[in-house]
Amino acid sequence: MKKKLLSALLCVAMSATLFAGCGNGGTPANNDANEPSSSAGADAGDSADDAGAGTDDSASGGKTYAMVTKSAGNPYNEKEAEGFKEVIEANGGTAIIQHPEAATADAQVSVIQSLISQGVDSISVAANDANALQAALEEAMAAGIKVSAVDSATNAASRMTFANQAGTKEIGQTLMDAVYDISGGSGQWAIVSATSQATNQNAWIDAMKEIMESDSKYADLELVSIEYGDDVPEKSTTVTQALLTNYPDLKVICAPTTVGIAAAAKVLQDQGSSCKLTGLGLPSEMAAYIGDGDSFSCPYMFLWNPIDVGRLSAYISLALVNGDINGATGDTFEAGDMGSYTVVDAADGGTEVILGPPFKFDPSNINEWKDIY
Amino acid sequence: MAGKSGRTISATPENVWKKQIFSWEGILVVIFLAVIVLCKLLSPNYTFVNVLREMPKYLTEIFLLFPMAYILMLGEIDISVGSIVCLSATAGCLISNAGVPFGAAAVLTLLVGAACGAVNGLILVKFPELPSMIITLGTQIVFRGIAEIVLGSGGSVSPTNMDGYRMIAGKIGPFPYIFFLVIISAVIFAVVSAKMKYGRSLYAIGSNRRTAFYSGIRVNKVIFIAYTLMGLFAGIAGLFLTSATYAANTTTGKGFEMDAIAMAVFGGIATTGGKGRMVGGVISAFIIICLRIGLGQINMNSQLILVIIGILLICAVLLPNITGSLRLKKRD
Amino acid sequence: MEKKSIWKRIADSREASLVIVLILLCAAVSIRNPAFMTLSNLEEILKNNAVTMILALGMLCVLLIGGIDISIASTLAFTGMSVGLLFKYGYMGSTLLGFLLALVIGAVCGFIIGLVIGKGKVTPIIATMGFMYIYRGLAYVIGNSQWAGADALGDFKNFALGKYLGFGVINNVIMVTVICYIIFFFVMKWTKFGRNIYAVGSNEEAAAISGINVSRVKIAVYTIMGLLSGLCGALATTVYASAQPDMQTGKEMDVIAACVIGGVSMSGGKGSVGGALLGSLILAVIAKALPLVGINSLAQNTVKGVLIVVVIILNVITKRVMDKSALERREM
Repeated sequence: MKKKLLSALLCVAMSATLFAGCGNGGTPANNDANEPSSSAGADAGDSADDAGAGTDDSASGGKTYAMVTKSAGNPYNEKEAEGFKEVIEANGGTAIIQHPEAATADAQVSVIQSLISQGVDSISVAANDANALQAALEEAMAAGIKVSAVDSATNAASRMTFANQAGTKEIGQTLMDAVYDISGGSGQWAIVSATSQATNQNAWIDAMKEIMESDSKYADLELVSIEYGDDVPEKSTTVTQALLTNYPDLKVICAPTTVGIAAAAKVLQDQGSSCKLTGLGLPSEMAAYIGDGDSFSCPYMFLWNPIDVGRLSAYISLALVNGDINGATGDTFEAGDMGSYTVVDAADGGTEVILGPPFKFDPSNINEWKDIY
Repeated sequence: MAGKSGRTISATPENVWKKQIFSWEGILVVIFLAVIVLCKLLSPNYTFVNVLREMPKYLTEIFLLFPMAYILMLGEIDISVGSIVCLSATAGCLISNAGVPFGAAAVLTLLVGAACGAVNGLILVKFPELPSMIITLGTQIVFRGIAEIVLGSGGSVSPTNMDGYRMIAGKIGPFPYIFFLVIISAVIFAVVSAKMKYGRSLYAIGSNRRTAFYSGIRVNKVIFIAYTLMGLFAGIAGLFLTSATYAANTTTGKGFEMDAIAMAVFGGIATTGGKGRMVGGVISAFIIICLRIGLGQINMNSQLILVIIGILLICAVLLPNITGSLRLKKRD
Repeated sequence: MEKKSIWKRIADSREASLVIVLILLCAAVSIRNPAFMTLSNLEEILKNNAVTMILALGMLCVLLIGGIDISIASTLAFTGMSVGLLFKYGYMGSTLLGFLLALVIGAVCGFIIGLVIGKGKVTPIIATMGFMYIYRGLAYVIGNSQWAGADALGDFKNFALGKYLGFGVINNVIMVTVICYIIFFFVMKWTKFGRNIYAVGSNEEAAAISGINVSRVKIAVYTIMGLLSGLCGALATTVYASAQPDMQTGKEMDVIAACVIGGVSMSGGKGSVGGALLGSLILAVIAKALPLVGINSLAQNTVKGVLIVVVIILNVITKRVMDKSALERREM
């Protein structure tokens, strides 16, 4: 008796969903026509649908541009999203910013799948893993969505182009020069990185190693260790302390990651260590550690403007959707007041657009930047 | 709660809670319908085709639900499954990249999973005084750690020949293959737990391990099989997750164990053992999945979605308890 | 019956084997790297692991009453973020006020969990799993994608550098840990409340019959756990001079592992403050030693996991041997 009732309920449930589904999914043409009356006030959904209906619009107005960041709750990602949103909205489009629930590729796949359902016009994604988004992004491109990467690239097969914050070689060279300068040209140095699979981290570290080996100028520098702080303050702190204990003569630590550099800076500054720090970090997080003299642990560091990275990515999305470019080498497009940019070949076989050289933060300018990002 | 068995001796007649459990599954069906209607109202894109298209990645987690439900019925827990998914997916990609044909690589993926599960089972059977949570916490770190070592400094691997993975990600009409596999597994697991001797020994051990032992149930064997099954299905999940992402990395499957446990608990399967039915677990899994897809489509803050799931989880257990105690008071 | 000699009592105690493990561990690391045994390094160990050590005290109480709390890292992040943001936006300037507020927020978080478990009769793992999602989600929501960095924290971050609580010799953070341990040592050993906790954990029904208000003890224990999580939220913020919504993710598992290594039973009633201390110290030494002895950074997690499993299993084996020898003595 109970079981019968249960199975009857189950059947009702299943068939109800089937009907509900077929009523809409089976007849996509009707679906679009009915939408304005049946959509119950979901903003994003509405605009996404409008975009789907009005594909013949040549203007960017009414279209939807999505950005998928690496993780939630990170000011760097937030600034990128801010720049992205600003440019899209200034051009009359709708921006969707989605932060995945965790900093994993798995979580990003769910977000991308959802964006495909919403019928957005473009997706720009900061990949947590170069390869793991391929299935979802291929599906997006097959559905006519323009896919580009930003900040941290996907592999070449799953993107049309990539808004790169700075050339990999360029960053490697800049950091290498900083290490050379701070160490005085000789001695031991070490790297504190993020996670072992962070694509951009590994590319920069490889670039640094290559530059160090190819130029005899760096012959007296000895890279003693590469440690992974997993972008977690506790672990970054522990590995930095271990570096100082294991290598008492260590002269420079280079941390090309925002979490790692802040944790390392604190360790060095608290200990009053003679070892100095450079790398890539957020001015707002690092302001307390940047300064001249021995009481500060970081003489200077670098970063690009994350707002500009987001803006560049937005202009790329706009250009891709308008059909101005399609991500091939040599394409050029206008990026508003940022000037004109050209798509170039990337090292991984795909293409990229490079924002510009990294910006140097030192005691003279840190105070004006710390409130901005 | 109270002692290892977690049960209190009370005057409540048997059929009262049986009725409650039954009505819980009824409520779940109602909730399921409500979720569908709600999402439909919220998002114009919440169509049958779209929901099914987004589903495969979520469905991989249901594979973990089935054996996890068994383990919970035993009164045990396994928090290493996310890492087993990671290790087996990694192994699968590396084996297939070594030139092994896809079929064999797939079987080896499952075997790696099953082997990990067997290790858990073996330790637990050999050292029954150890809580399963702690052992699987240790192996959780170890299994993912091994994946980190074999993946090396890149931390990620992608199969060079993706044909096989593309094939298992295929569809019949709008239905992905994995959907049928989930339904078939659900039926088998439900029938085994409700009708077969193995299923009844799960409940018996979960209710009282010692009594079960003295009534002739081979407790160790049942536990070992449950954990090995857990590993095997984590392997299956790893295989399908690879087909949904074309890669395995060190964060693959992170947090899956909690999702699987949440699904089971929401479905009325108690973590104290001996209670609950597979049907409830499966319905609740679809509730959570459909809700996540719907809220994702209106671009709700991903952290808020987790908050909602957390509240649902607590209410799912709290409400029956409160109404149950009210009912008892009335009778008195 | 003659009184047991001191030596025998030490040899029989469970803590003795842990002390031996700890000494062996330290000795092995010192041989590989003499820098390990320096004063500054030991200070770093205690400072970095103050959070685990303090949380282990709360977890001890929770495990003693047969419960579990996996929401502590989320409570920690929520309080840490709240306090950090108040400093960042200039609503607060006093370090003392920051700590008091953190204690209050944490206690309220814990009290709500206690209510759900004590009054709502929800299984601890489910209730705390729900709150794990809820509090973590709230930490993200109030954070609104902002961190509270070193510059924003002002004076608050200097607490972790100062030594004024430790009479100019011992670091403040370590001193807080020591004070917590002293308080708990007395409470657990010599107060009625402490004995009630053991009573509830050993046999809930018996405790209820003998007049202990079980649900009140449960609420109190989870409130204490919340209070300590709040304290650790503030401590973690000052130690790392940064509050982020994802801070200390997964810390709950470290804490539970520390307790179990320290001989605290997960089914309730057994465990001591000394055990919790030794357990968390062993974990702390392992975490600190791995990079020092030159283990490849990719292999560190695996080694850590294997060590945890090995230590726990060794614990069981020594216990078995002890029980056996105790039995033999009785037979003679």
